[in-house]
Order: sequence, then C-alpha cells, then structure tokens
Amino acid sequence: MESTDFLATLRTLHTGGVEFVLVGGVAASLNGATGQTFDVDIVAARDDENLEKLLRVLESVDAIFRIQPARRLKPDMSHLRSTGHKNLLTKLGYLDVLGTIGRGLSYADLLPHSVEMDIGEGVRVRVLDLETIIAIKEELASEKDLAVLPLLRRTLQEKQRRS
Amino acid sequence: MEEDTDALTDYAEDGVDLTLIRAFLSLTPAERLAFLQRQVDAIRKVRALNGVD
Repeated sequence: MESTDFLATLRTLHTGGVEFVLVGGVAASLNGATGQTFDVDIVAARDDENLEKLLRVLESVDAIFRIQPARRLKPDMSHLRSTGHKNLLTKLGYLDVLGTIGRGLSYADLLPHSVEMDIGEGVRVRVLDLETIIAIKEELASEKDLAVLPLLRRTLQEKQRRS
Repeated sequence: MEEDTDALTDYAEDGVDLTLIRAFLSLTPAERLAFLQRQVDAIRKVRALNGVD
C-alpha cells in the first residue's frame, strides 16, 4: 500500500495552475471532520485549457490508473474529458480525478459551494463545504455514505454553534 | 465511591464523540491536514510492520 502525501499532491496541482475543487475525505477533514482517508479526490474544470494543465501535472507525477498497475496505463485527454472517476496512482500517492460527483455535479456546480483554504506552505485550494458534502451523501445514501453521516452532521452542528 | 464517568464524556445520542470534533475544529485547516497525514503515515507504518502491504 502506498502512502499519499496530501500536501505535496495538492501543491503540485496548485502550482500547475489546475482549477479544481477538493472533495471526499480530505475535504471533510479540512472542514473539521475527524476520520481517515487515504487518497485525494478532486473535481477539475473540464475545459480543454484546464485539462491540459491537469494532464501536464499528472505526467509530472507519473500518474497511472491503479486498477491494473502492471499495465501502467496513463490517463490522457479523452479520459480526463469524461465524467467518470479516474482512480490514479502517482509518485505522491493516490489521486482520484472525478469528472462529476453525486448526481452529476461538475466543477461549475461545486465551485459556488466551495471555500478557499490555506492548507500550509502558501498553498490555497478550493474545498467543498461541509453542507454540500453532507447533501451529496444524503442523496446518494449508499452504505458507505450513510456510515459517515452522523459524524459529518455533528461536525457541522459544532461548527455552526461556534460561528 | 465510584466517580460518575458520564459527566466526564460528551457523546451525542448517535454515539459520536463530540470532544474529538471540538478538538479537531480548534485546529486550522493546515493543522488538520498535517494531523491527517501523520495518522495515515502511522497506519501505513503499522501495516508494513505486520506484513500487510
């Protein structure tokens, strides 16, 4: 099992000028939810200019699809243009590039529901807010999503109580 | 006489430990990310020690 360097992965995307919203477990943690995650999940803008930047970043970190690592299949523009999930292994760890999340929510849909956060070393990234993370999980309602909802809801309540 | 330990905990009715949430919320996002990194690295180290990887 590889270890993911969260900050280095996000710094590489940030430095490469990629427009993306951080989602998933790391986003939940940055919003204050306790829990574990082993990968970085992003939804990137899918215009060609941004995807070319993303592809350059992915090439720089030797990204391959992790479903069959022995084949060393590299993502290309056609993969990145799709709405599906690209589960990648890079030299910095696990990175999932998601075309959409939930019921087809794209970067443009998520951007208004994200907040910019300083995650260290001058790196600032857009992070999906906790309300939207919860709403998506409530809508999907898979066993995995339902399992974490109590923790996410309590975290949101505590945040709201503090503000 | 036994101490009432219920008074020393703060669980929500769904079992979520609110003290951990408050502790995590007291950190900055950068500190939360660093915490998560240490946690994942520690788990990986233990897995490797036990030959799981």
